[in-house]
Formats: sequence, structure tokens, C-alpha cells
Amino acid sequence: MEKLPLGLVLDLRKVVPYKTGSWRTLMPINIAHTPPCNNACPAGNDIRGFLRVLAEKKDYEQAWHILTRTNPFPAVCGRVCPHPCEGGCNRRDFDEPLAINCSERAVGDYGLENNLQHKKLIDTRKEKVAVIGSGPAGFSCAFHLAKRGFQVKIYEANSEPGGMMRYGIPSYRQPNYILKQEIDNILRLGVELECNVKVGVNIPLDQLRNEYDAVFLGIGAQKGLSINIPGKDAENVFTGVEFLRQVNTGKWVELGNDVVVIGGGNTAMDCARVAKRLGANVSIVYRRTRMEMPAITAEIDEAMEERIMFRYHTNPVKLILDEGRVVGLLCVQMELREPDASGRARPVPISGSEAFIPAETVIMATGQAVDYDGIEIQTADKQWIYTNEYLMTNMEGVFAGGDAVVGLETVSLAIGQGMRAASAIEDYIEGNKESELSQPPVVYSRELNTYYYQPVKRYEKEARSIHMRLKGFKEVYPAFDQDDIISEADRCFSCGLCYDCGNCYMYCPDNAVQKSKTTGFYEFDYDFCKGCGLCAKECPCHYIQMTLEK
Amino acid sequence: MNQSAEELNKVEKKDLFTSGHRACGGCGQALAARLVQDASGENTIACVATGCLEVFSSPYPDPSWRIPFLHSLFENASAVASGVEAAYKALKKGPVNIIAQGGDGSTADIGFQSISGMFERGHNVLYVCYDNEAYMNTGVQRSSFTPLGARTSTTPMGNKTRKKNMPLIAANHGIPYVATATVDDFRDLQRKVKTALSIEGPKYIHILAPCPLGWGHHGELTVEICRLAKDTGLFPIYEIVDGKMTNVKKIPVKVPVQEYLKLQGRFSHLFKKGGSPEIIAEIQQIANQNIERYNL
Ligand SMILES: Cc1cc2nc3c(=O)[nH]c(=O)nc-3n(C[C@H](O)[C@H](O)[C@H](O)COP(=O)(O)OP(=O)(O)OC[C@H]3O[C@@H](n4cnc5c(N)ncnc54)[C@H](O)[C@@H]3O)c2cc1C
Ligand SMILES: Cc1ncc(C[n+]2csc(CCOP(=O)(O)OP(=O)(O)O)c2C)c(N)n1
Ligand code: SF4
Ligand SMILES: [Mg+2]
Repeated sequence: MEKLPLGLVLDLRKVVPYKTGSWRTLMPINIAHTPPCNNACPAGNDIRGFLRVLAEKKDYEQAWHILTRTNPFPAVCGRVCPHPCEGGCNRRDFDEPLAINCSERAVGDYGLENNLQHKKLIDTRKEKVAVIGSGPAGFSCAFHLAKRGFQVKIYEANSEPGGMMRYGIPSYRQPNYILKQEIDNILRLGVELECNVKVGVNIPLDQLRNEYDAVFLGIGAQKGLSINIPGKDAENVFTGVEFLRQVNTGKWVELGNDVVVIGGGNTAMDCARVAKRLGANVSIVYRRTRMEMPAITAEIDEAMEERIMFRYHTNPVKLILDEGRVVGLLCVQMELREPDASGRARPVPISGSEAFIPAETVIMATGQAVDYDGIEIQTADKQWIYTNEYLMTNMEGVFAGGDAVVGLETVSLAIGQGMRAASAIEDYIEGNKESELSQPPVVYSRELNTYYYQPVKRYEKEARSIHMRLKGFKEVYPAFDQDDIISEADRCFSCGLCYDCGNCYMYCPDNAVQKSKTTGFYEFDYDFCKGCGLCAKECPCHYIQMTLEK
Repeated sequence: MNQSAEELNKVEKKDLFTSGHRACGGCGQALAARLVQDASGENTIACVATGCLEVFSSPYPDPSWRIPFLHSLFENASAVASGVEAAYKALKKGPVNIIAQGGDGSTADIGFQSISGMFERGHNVLYVCYDNEAYMNTGVQRSSFTPLGARTSTTPMGNKTRKKNMPLIAANHGIPYVATATVDDFRDLQRKVKTALSIEGPKYIHILAPCPLGWGHHGELTVEICRLAKDTGLFPIYEIVDGKMTNVKKIPVKVPVQEYLKLQGRFSHLFKKGGSPEIIAEIQQIANQNIERYNL
């Protein structure tokens, strides 16, 4: 008789497991959500991407390539951008936002020090595009078009390229050699640049429209506006941009002892700080208070540190002249009443409060306008160039972006607009329907599981001493330590993107999260996942989301 | 077996307890069981008492176990494990990890004498208790681990007694190793299993294992609830090595017990109109006593 084994013997290899996935009503999926930093970046930078590469691989080179996918000026932006990304950073609700701006500068500087070069995506194509203006908008547009193989030529009215990055922003904030290197890197993609050509004056716009398949206007707002008070045309009265342009072209400006700057924006801060470095006593005259000043807080703080005097509630009504030169301002004190249309408190003069402020030079940093000399184009509000949502102006094939379109904004927004215009121009030339940009949903703090993160102090950059700063035009902030920036990048929550913490893998009670043998990424085994949601709940960065079962 | 700190702290995932079991979604016991077997490794024999774990993981022909698994009765997992250990000795086989495992009902109530006997006889067995604070498999009846105030099918107005302190009872048998753990800290849990298995003699590990069905919470909260059980002071985490309490886990920020209670349906009657603030206060008192007693 055949000898049977005792009891039942089960060959596990033949077992077909029971597929508990059929119980599921909600299913987990992996979604690379948009982090709020990326969402807030006007240049469209992949901030999370470059920070994670720094944190996980300590790889500055790859970080530079990630940043320059969108932004050819990381070293400039790392110095001058008012970094709305940091305002968006989810860590602000936990401890302090990431020092994204400093990290960007460190990466940008690394790129320059190591001579990293942009790579073309498409080698060459025959279509030609003319870019008018070599500010950040023009250069960004040229950069993105050149990477896609277009033949690009930039026409610039000034003798040097860079727009306000060159002639506006002072070099103690953004040294010229940095800008020059980043520009040279763009030109190395084969972008042609002709300076000292003012389109509309030296060469008609229509000629360019005929010669090129498309034209991009990035002409900024070059005209300084002064306030309309008696004496404004005296020779020792400047507009803010005019004054900075002179200093930035290396001209000596005779200021005298007392300089009064009128205005409360960033240009006013720059003018005041430049004048201070040229040895003058400087005061800023502003109608409202510090609260209402449009300048970035850090700029105001730095100006105050540099002992610039702030006179609030003060409004100039008249410049007092002596033999055609200003000797002082007659100012009236203001009081603030209910907010005006801009939402800021409305200043109203107090009668009988007139006072005299002596001045040997007056700088009016009170706005800028587009210089339309020889360029006839439809405007919005008679001020800025009108465009449709794809940045095309009323002229077929002529696109525009940057300050000339959006008003006085930022370098990063100009870069973002240049990039958008480049893709609109590509679509236009190829005859495609304009592509809709869509992005996955943004992750907010409440969707994170911050249990898994530790509080860590934020990296703070260190300024040179006031004494050293005022000695000349040396950068206020010396270079950062690369390792410090890597530690800072390590604070990034990686909002919306897996960083391999392994929680889903370890916590699944059904063993239904597996590590892919090919990609190394975590995958759901939907045959067995019951949809309990534990993985999504314990995912620190909201990479996992529960969705309705299909 | 002397293992380095690095080996002990390593997180293990070996798929020895696999998918396809019939536990509820988010079951803390299924998670705990997987963490225990993966920490112990292939060279293990599991002797499991009747209860949810045994029922959901062992139906013929597709059990989740990829190691030898013995189930006999509700009350005798320790006796079976003792026998297995004695047989290995008699046959001069081994070494092998023998892990007796059971729910709180089987540990605290019906299997209590067989555990006590195993400890007293000094068998080289690890006993793991998956504490879900009631007899879940038969429909949420009260056990002597059911905490004060919890509603079960046999205590519809809320449990009137306090929870039996099994880890200290185990320790008082004079066994060399006792530990408590929860499923949220899988590294700590697996380290304790590996530490226990490296020690000769009887060992006891008590794991808090939330039961979404019996506790009335969503399965996604299993880990969060464990964390709150610790941070309120209601479930102290410690080890007792050779009679000495060590590695008591400090609470980083103490949390009021309400935070723990209100996530669970079994305590919801305490918060309703005409509820029982005095019971909540007493539960808080239990937490406070733990904090003081264990210096949490
Ligand atoms: C003093 C100052 C400080 C600033 N500080 C900051 C800062 O810290 N951070 C920040 O983000 N932003 C700052 N900005 C704003 C920022 O510089 C601008 O938003 C940005 O440069 C706009 O870029 P754009 O390319 O649109 O124009 P621009 O930079 O103004 O460049 C336009 C270019 O077009 C050229 N051009 C104009 N007309 C013609 C023509 N007809 N033919 C040929 N070329 C022409 C101009 O010469 C110029 O080079 C500052 C601006 C100023 C004035
Ligand atoms: C002697 C005996 N009495 C009653 C039962 C019925 N029974 C099976 S499992 C169980 C409850 C198990 O509770 P517990 O040990 O806490 O495990 P859980 O199911 O909660 O994981 C009961 C009462 C039984 N199997 N044997
Ligand atoms: S934590 Fe990182 S990814 Fe998240 S918002 Fe901040 S910088 Fe971006
Ligand atoms: Mg139980």
C-alpha cells in the first residue's frame, strides 16, 4: 500500500492567493504633486528638484542643470530675486522656510566657477527670431529659443547687454562679472547680439518683422518718471534709473554732501545706498510710513543699517533753486487717512506743516515708463504693451514680455515671461495650437505628515560689516559655504515627491507595497491592496493620494 | 547569538507573512505579525492561538505564512510552543526561533495559565501578545485587557475596570526579557524581537495593535493612534532586562487623553451629551500615574 503522509500536505508553490484587492473602494496612487515653492516661482524653476539633488546626492552640477532648464540666470536671481518661493514654502508652517534664494546663488556660482554649459535640445532649425532688448525677458526668450534650435538675434539699444540687471541693480547686490558670465553662457548657444541699435529709431520694427519669422519685444521700462513739482528740471535733479545708469556705466556723479531720495520702492533704496557709498549723507523722503513702502523688507533693513535716514509722512511740494541748482526741498507733513484704491493708507497734507530740507542732489525714484520711441503698438491703460494670453501683441508674429508688459516687476518674472513667449513663438512658427500648460495639484502644509520631520535652524546668510560695505561697491553678502547649503537643502520636505522614507513599504498591513526591482521605486500591488489608506496617511510628503476606485 | 547594534536596528522586510490574508483594512495585528516574522527570519516556528490572526492568515489552501505554523487551541499556544521546544531538545535539533503568539484574550484570560507555566518551566520561547484590547474575532467581547471606558459588545455602557498589567506580571515570573512595543515604531519593534530572540529562556513582548473594526476608527489611523497611545502615557514603552526596567521611551510632548479617545468609536459615548467626563478624568489619571510610575 502507498504510504501517505500524515495529515494534509500543502505545496505552497501551487497556492493561488486570495486577491483581497477586490475589497477596495479607495485606491492609493503615487502622484508627483506640485510643491508650493515651484508654484510660486515666477521663473517656473523646479526648486524642489534642485534642492533634493543637493540633499540626496550633494550634486551641485546636476542642481545647476535642473535650475537652468528654466532659468539661465541662477547666479543673478540667487542675489536679486525677492524669492516668493520662500513665502510659499510649506516649512514656514513648521519652523522656517527653506533658504531657497541662498541655495540658488550657491548653485549658480558653482556653475560659473566650474564653467558648466547649457545643452541644446534641438541642434539647428532654419527659422529666425529677433529679440529686442537684452534684459532678463529678452535673454530668457533667446535662451529657450536657441536651445530649441532657432536662429536668434538680440538687438540692444545700450552699449552693453543685461537691461536693468546691468544698468539698474547696483553691483554691491549683483556684481557685473557674474551677470557677464551668465550672459556669455547664453551667447555660447549661438545667440547673436548687436548692441547700440535702438529698434524704432536706428532700425524700423517692420523691417525686423519682414526679416524674421517672429519678433519678441522685451524692452522694459527705461524712462524714469519724476514727480511734477516746480524745479524738477534743475540739473542736479535725477530720476532714479538715470542716476543708477550713470553710476553703473562708471560715470562719476557729483552729489555734494546732502542727497535726498524721493520714493519708497526698491529703486529708492538702491539710489540711497549707492549715494551713501559715494560718500553723501542720504535721506529718503516718503509720503507714507514704512508699512506702506513697496520696497522689499530686507532692502529697507539694509538701507537702515547703512544709516540712511528715513523721513516718513513727508511730501515734497517744491524744489528750491539757487542759480538753476537745487539747494533744498520744501516738504509738507502728511497724515494717513482711510485707504485708497491701492489699499494703502491715503496721505493727506497737514496745513501749515511746510518745512525746508537742504539738498545738493535730489533723486526721484518715483516710477518708470516704457520708451515707445518709434514703436507703435497697442497698449493697455496707455502704459504697458497689450498682449493676449500667449503673449502675442496686436501685431501678428510680434510677442512681448517682461516689465514692458506686466509693469515694474522682477527679474524672475521677466525670465518666466521670456520662457513662456519662447514656447508661444515655437507654437506660432510651427503652426501648432498653443499648448495649454497644466500642472498637478499643489501640496499644502495640511496635507503633509510632519511627524516625520525635525525642526532644524534655517541657514542665514551673513552680511559684511557696515563699515566694509560702505567703503565701496563690494558685494554685501560674500560667498556661501557649499556644505552649509547642502545641509540647508536637506531641510526640504520634498513636498509632493517621494524621497524614499519607506513608510508605505513598512506600514502596509497587507504587504501590498513593493519595491520595484527594475526602478527601485515603491509600487502598489493592487491585487492585494485593501485601500485602507494607511500608506497615504503616513506618507510624510503627500506623494500618495487616495482616489476613488476606477 | 550576539548581534551588533547595527544589526539590531536594521529594519527587516522579508515577506515571510504575505499578502492575501483576510484581516480588515488597516489591521494593526496583521501589520504587527508581519513585522515580527520578518524580524525573526526564516528559521522560525510560529505557534499561534485561536483569534483573528490565526483565522485571517491560515485558511486552507492559501495561508500567509512562509514559515512553519502551528495552531491548536485558543488556550494553549504556550503549551504547544513548550512542546515544540522540548521536542527540538529531545531530538537535539536547532537552534530555532520558537514564537508563541496570541491575542489579548488568549494571553490575559484563557491562555494565562499555559503562559505562566511556560515561563515558570523556563522554555526557550518568545511569547508575543497582540493586544487589541478585546476578543475581536468573535465580535468584540471584553477581555481583561479592555481599558477603562471602552465600549465592547459585552460592555455596551463602557468597561468598568482597568486593564490588567501583563508585562509586569510576566516580568514577575523572573524571566530574562520583557518589552512593550507599538506598530508605529517598526524599527523599535523589530529590534525588540531580535533582542528577545538572542536571549536564552522565556521572553515576553506586548504589542499594542489597534483594531479598526473593534475600536471604531478608520484603518488609515492605525499608526497615528499608536503614537497617541504612547504620547498620552496610556501605553508606556519600555524593556525589562533581567528584572531591571530600561529604555523607557520618554514622551516628547505630553498629549491629553482626549486626543487619543476621540479618534475611536469605542469611546465616543464618553463625549456625547450626558457623557462621562468623570471617566475621561479617570483615564487621564491612569495616564498620569503611568507617566509618574515609569518616568515617561
Ligand atoms: C534700480 C532697480 C533695481 C531693481 N532691483 C531688482 C531686484 O533686486 N530684484 C528683481 O527681481 N528685480 C529688480 N528690479 C526690476 C528688474 O530689474 C526688472 O523687472 C527686469 O529687469 C525687467 O526685465 P525686462 O527684460 O523686461 O526689461 P529690462 O531689464 O529693462 O531690459 C530691457 C532692455 O531692452 C532695451 N531696449 C529698450 N528699448 C529698446 C529698443 N527700442 N531697441 C533695443 N533695445 C531696447 C533696454 O536698453 C534694456 O536693455 C530692479 C529694477 C530697478 C530699476
Ligand atoms: C475554548 C474556546 N473558547 C472560545 C473560543 C472562541 N474564540 C475564538 S477566537 C476568540 C477571541 C479571541 O480574542 P483574542 O485572543 O483577543 O484575539 P483577537 O481575535 O482579538 O485577535 C474566541 C472567544 C474558542 N475558539 N475556544
Ligand atoms: S519644503 Fe522644499 S519642496 Fe516643500 S515647499 Fe519648501 S522648498 Fe519646496
Ligand atoms: Mg483581542
